[in-house]
Amino acid sequence: MDFGGFRALSGASLDIAQGEIIGLIGPNGAGKSTFFNCLVGDLRPSGGRVLLNEHDVTRASPEVHARLGIGRSFQVPATFEDLTILENVMVGAFLRHSRVREARESARRVLELTGLDALADHKAKSLGTPGRKRLEIARVLATEPKLMLLDEALAGLTPVEVQQAIELVRRIHRSGITLVIVEHVMEVILTLAERVVVFNQGRVIARGTPTEVVNDEAVIDAYLGHSHARRHGKHA
Amino acid sequence: MRRAGWVVLAAVLLLFPLSFDNPYYEQLGSLVLLAAISASAWNLIGGYAGQVSVGNAVFFGAGAYMPLLFYKLWQVSPLLGFPAGIAVSLVIAVVIGIPTLRLSGHYFSMATIAVAELIRIVVSNWDFVGAAIGLTGPATPRGWWDLVFRSSVPYYYMFLAVLVALVAITYGIQRSRFGYYLRAIRGGERAARSLGVPVSRYKLYAFMLSATFTSLAGSLYVVKFGFIDPGSAFGILVSVNMVLIAALGGAGRLFGPLLGAAILIPLQTETNNLFGGGGTGLTYILYGGIIVLIARFEPGGLLEMWERLRAKRGSRAA
Repeated sequence: MDFGGFRALSGASLDIAQGEIIGLIGPNGAGKSTFFNCLVGDLRPSGGRVLLNEHDVTRASPEVHARLGIGRSFQVPATFEDLTILENVMVGAFLRHSRVREARESARRVLELTGLDALADHKAKSLGTPGRKRLEIARVLATEPKLMLLDEALAGLTPVEVQQAIELVRRIHRSGITLVIVEHVMEVILTLAERVVVFNQGRVIARGTPTEVVNDEAVIDAYLGHSHARRHGKHA
Repeated sequence: MRRAGWVVLAAVLLLFPLSFDNPYYEQLGSLVLLAAISASAWNLIGGYAGQVSVGNAVFFGAGAYMPLLFYKLWQVSPLLGFPAGIAVSLVIAVVIGIPTLRLSGHYFSMATIAVAELIRIVVSNWDFVGAAIGLTGPATPRGWWDLVFRSSVPYYYMFLAVLVALVAITYGIQRSRFGYYLRAIRGGERAARSLGVPVSRYKLYAFMLSATFTSLAGSLYVVKFGFIDPGSAFGILVSVNMVLIAALGGAGRLFGPLLGAAILIPLQTETNNLFGGGGTGLTYILYGGIIVLIARFEPGGLLEMWERLRAKRGSRAA
C-alpha cells in the first residue's frame, strides 16, 4: 500500500480463524491502521488481496464489508452527534432489520449488553470519550458482525474504564464474534489476545502468542524497549 | 398539548385566507405556502441528508418552464407540463447528482451553484424558451384546467394541499429507515458507510425526491403568476431563498421550512413595499444579515432555539 511515494505497508499478511482474538501492535506509523483500513474496505491496497471465506473482497466498498459481516470502530470516534444514543445504534441495526420497530428492539438489546441503556435518549454529543468508544462498539454490534475490528477502542481510557472495556470485549467474544484489536496499550493486548502480530515500518516483524512476542528480540528492539521486556516478558 | 398544537396549526392554515377578505393577505399567505413547499423540498437533501444544495433553482426553473412551454407549443393546459417538469428535474438530478454527490461538504454546494448558473445562462440565450424575456401563460382562462384565477384564494388552497402532502411524506421518511439513514449520512458519511449504509444511493434518492417537489413548486409558481423569466426561475436568489428559509426555521426539522417561510416572506414583502424597486439591494443586505446571525448564533435554526429554551425552563421548574 503506497501513499504518494511512501510505502506504508509491504508484504504484510494475516490469517484470521473464526472465534479468535488477534492483536495488532506496533509503534506509531508502523502501518497498523493502514492495514486495518485495507481490511475493512476504506482503503484499496495497491497490491495484495483480502479474502473472506474464499471470497475476494479487496475492492468491495465499506458498506459491502458491513453487509458481509465485517464491522469496524474508528480510532477517533465517529458517532453521529445529533442523533440520540439509541438512534446511533439503530442505524447499525437497520442493516439486518429494515423495520423501525425491530431495529429499535435490536438496538435496545445491544444497549443493554454494552451498558448504555440508561443513556439511550441522550444525544451522542453528550458523551465523553469513553462513552463514545463504547457507543461505537455498540453500533457495530448492532450490525450483527461475524468479525469485528477495533481500532484503538481502549486508547485514552482510565485504568478502571480499560477494565470495563476489556470485560465488554470478552463478552463480545463469548457471543461468538471474531475480533481483531489494534492497540497501543500493551496490557490490553496481553490480557485479551490469543495471537499477536507486530508491525514495524510496514512489515510484520513477529507473530505468535503474547508471551512469544514479548520475548522476541526484534519486537523488543523495535517497540517495547528493553526496560519493558525486563518488566514483562522475561518474567513471563 | 401536542395535539392542541396540531389543531391550532391546521385551523390557522385552513382559515387564514377566509379571515381577512383582503387580497394583500391572501396573496401573502399563498406566497408563504409556496416558499414553504420549495424550502421543505430542499430540506430533504439539504436538511435531513446534510448535502447543502445551492442549485435547487434548476428544478424550480424546470418546473416553472415546462407548463408554459407546453402551452406555447401546443396550447394545452399548463397542468400537462407539471409531470414534464418533474421528469426533466429527475433527469437533471440524476445527471448532476451522480458525479456531484460524490463530492462532500462545500464542494457539492459549489458544484450545484455552477450547474444552476450554467443552466440560467443557457436558458437566457435560447430563443426556443423565450431567451431573456421568458415565457407567458394563458392571459384569460379557457376553463378551470388553465388554472388562471383572479383571486389568490384558490392558489392558496392548491399550495396548501401540496404542502400537506409533502410534509406528510417527509414525516413518513423521518420515521423510516430512509430517514435514519439520511440523518446518519449528515452525521458522518464514513461512519455511515462502515455500518452498511449505501451512502451514494440514499443521497441520490433524497436529491431526486427533493427535485420532484421543487419542480412542483416551480409549476405552482408559474400557474399563479402566469409568466417566467430566467432570473426568477434559475437565479441564485431562488436557490438561496430555499436554503435560508429552511435554515432559519430549522434545517432537518419537519416544520422548520414552514416557520422560516412564515417569517422571511412577510419580511421580504414588507421591505419591497417600503423601498419599492430600489429595495432589491436591501433584500441582499437582509439575507446577508440573517445568514450571519444564523451561522453565528443559531446554526440549528429557530425551532432548535425554542426547544432549548423550553428545556431550560422545564428544568428550572422541576
